Amino acid sequence: MKTKLVLSVIVLLFIVVPATLAQDVVTIKFWHTYNEVSPENQTLTDTLIPMFEAAHPNIKVESVPYPYDGFRQALLTAAAGGEGADVVRLDIIWSPEFAAQGILMNLSEKMSDFQQYADAVFPGPLSTNAYDGAYYGLPLDTNTRVLVYNPAVMPEPPKTIDELAAMCADLPEGSFLFSDGGTYGWAILPWIWSFGGDVTDPEIAMATGYVNGEKTVAAVQFIADMVKDGCFSDGFIGSGLDTWGGYFGGTIYSMLEGPWFYPTQESQYPDFKVGAALMPAGEGGPVSVVGGENIVVSASSTHPDEAMEFVRFTQSEEYQLEMSKVGQLTVLSSLLKNEYFVNHPYYGIFLEQLQTAKARTPHPAYTQIETVLGDAAQLVLRGEMSAQEAMDAAAEEIDALLAGS
Amino acid sequence: MGTNTTIAAARRQRTPSRDRAKPYYRWYVPYLFLIPGLVLYLLWTVYPLFYQLYISFFDWKIIPGQESTFVGFANYQTAFADKTFWLAMSNTVTYAIITVIGQMIAGFAVAVLVNRVLVGRRFFRTVYYLPVVTSWVVVSFLFIYLFSPGNSGLINYILTQIGVIKEPISWMANSSTAWVAIYSLGIWKGLGWSMVIFLAALQGIPAELYEAAAIDGTNEWQRLLHITMPLIRRTILFVFVALMIGGFQVFLSVLLITGGGPLHRTEVALTYMFDRSFGQLKFGYGAALSYILAVVIVVVSVTQTRLFGRRGQDVEY
Repeated sequence: MKTKLVLSVIVLLFIVVPATLAQDVVTIKFWHTYNEVSPENQTLTDTLIPMFEAAHPNIKVESVPYPYDGFRQALLTAAAGGEGADVVRLDIIWSPEFAAQGILMNLSEKMSDFQQYADAVFPGPLSTNAYDGAYYGLPLDTNTRVLVYNPAVMPEPPKTIDELAAMCADLPEGSFLFSDGGTYGWAILPWIWSFGGDVTDPEIAMATGYVNGEKTVAAVQFIADMVKDGCFSDGFIGSGLDTWGGYFGGTIYSMLEGPWFYPTQESQYPDFKVGAALMPAGEGGPVSVVGGENIVVSASSTHPDEAMEFVRFTQSEEYQLEMSKVGQLTVLSSLLKNEYFVNHPYYGIFLEQLQTAKARTPHPAYTQIETVLGDAAQLVLRGEMSAQEAMDAAAEEIDALLAGS
Repeated sequence: MGTNTTIAAARRQRTPSRDRAKPYYRWYVPYLFLIPGLVLYLLWTVYPLFYQLYISFFDWKIIPGQESTFVGFANYQTAFADKTFWLAMSNTVTYAIITVIGQMIAGFAVAVLVNRVLVGRRFFRTVYYLPVVTSWVVVSFLFIYLFSPGNSGLINYILTQIGVIKEPISWMANSSTAWVAIYSLGIWKGLGWSMVIFLAALQGIPAELYEAAAIDGTNEWQRLLHITMPLIRRTILFVFVALMIGGFQVFLSVLLITGGGPLHRTEVALTYMFDRSFGQLKFGYGAALSYILAVVIVVVSVTQTRLFGRRGQDVEY
């Protein structure tokens, strides 16, 4: 009898004690693509998460870093299995698609103090969280690409696209005025917009007349001509050329880069003199592309309250300032008056570029739209189709995607 | 005739009648040992196989709570009209043919040479076999590095140094040159496997045959053609069939080296299937593609065995 009693007590202890402990401390999983090579990831795991955990002893944050390539697939398959992250740092171009798939939590509905946070951030980045009249996240960081040039070979940066094209004449063999890694939206949209072109109408209902409009066609033709003449590198047609390597080696004069370029440059090429200027202007002005990430909570999260508490933390000045120090530009408008930003060596040009920068089509089918656009431009750059012909075909396909078929 | 009867008699004698006399023998014991494996096989292979067939008739949604709609044969119809899919299929067939022939010729040549080596045979065998057991991911990245564009790529550097090409090649920018990288990886990584199989077969050939042939005044080439080849015929067939099936399943190297690009031109069946399923979330369509591929593989394998596998033609010695 006594043994039975002792046994039952032991069994009870085994069941009850872990259960109560588990109630005390909740672990939330944070999936992100903070760069593990540059200091971003270190700031997160060594500074910010400990700061959050100290303030919230009942919450543990498990940081799960992913490489950017394949992150979208990892998230979607995890969502399909009903497993995965509680909180995700999501590329702004994926927010509409993920919201449409029903895997993001509607924060404007579930977070009582959502409006307070929405009011504190820049309206542009906030708008990338909107889908169907609700908000499915908050902006986390923003960025854009500016013209990063090498003053040793390009003493004055080109102010206009014409000035850039004129530099072609004196280019030594084996050097390139400009280089990029392909014809994806992030690479070619700044040229299309600066030429005055666009992908769709402002209401995102129609591509015909825009993606095959005169100015977009001229932009694609321009890149094709520059690649053909050897002024732009064949990285545009996917040769896999190492743009940063060429830039630091002096054979690539300029490229479009985001603020994350600087921390890497400072750690790997500290003595290299970097120049930065606005995207060269065309008829549409100096227009670059807006990038950045949103912070979202997955709809299937088993700890939504703790997850939202972490979201609140990412909107704090501490979090935003620490991440700004490693190249993640803040989304808090109040922070720009902070001494750190006023005296910053390179954020000024990015903030100036953001004034005119545009966002990629915020549409659930963006990934497919981008593939159509990129493939069409690719055909032109390879000289297999005329720019007008390729863009006409793309317009038809994108119209179908916008119509939801 | 006489020999056969003797053998039959011997077999009858060996019938294990005493097994039945054992007190603890039960007829179901072997089944008990077979069942766990069978259950796993049914659960992890047969069930998904049929489930996938089921999926292929739907516009399948993977997110819980979303409804999948039955579309009948629509996915199959789309597939038959999908030019990129057929390009991917023909790329797969070309890949299989080129790399299988390449692996067999190279593997056989290395096996013949290694078979002749008196000192260090084990060393050469290991060195040539090493790529086989190396991860596809590792060697794919190695090949991306070897085939880098500009003068930073090792292949470009060597080719320009020895004067084969004047300008460095951007290997990945065009499908024709990208295939060079993918094919050479496939051949290099697989030749060790066929070498080991061929080597085992070569070592099974009695040396007297060669000695006798040498006395008859044959040269090396004639001995290779008239003694070695016929004797390892079944090994050649086995290697061929096994490599072909493997060739049709090429995936990781293409995914990592070109990702199917540029413009889907180096897409193979599995990378395209992966892109449609996990990239565009068209899982029903991806399932339909996999069934079409499965049918093709079955047809090819059956044809191969029919064509080359007729029994009773083995040379005996």
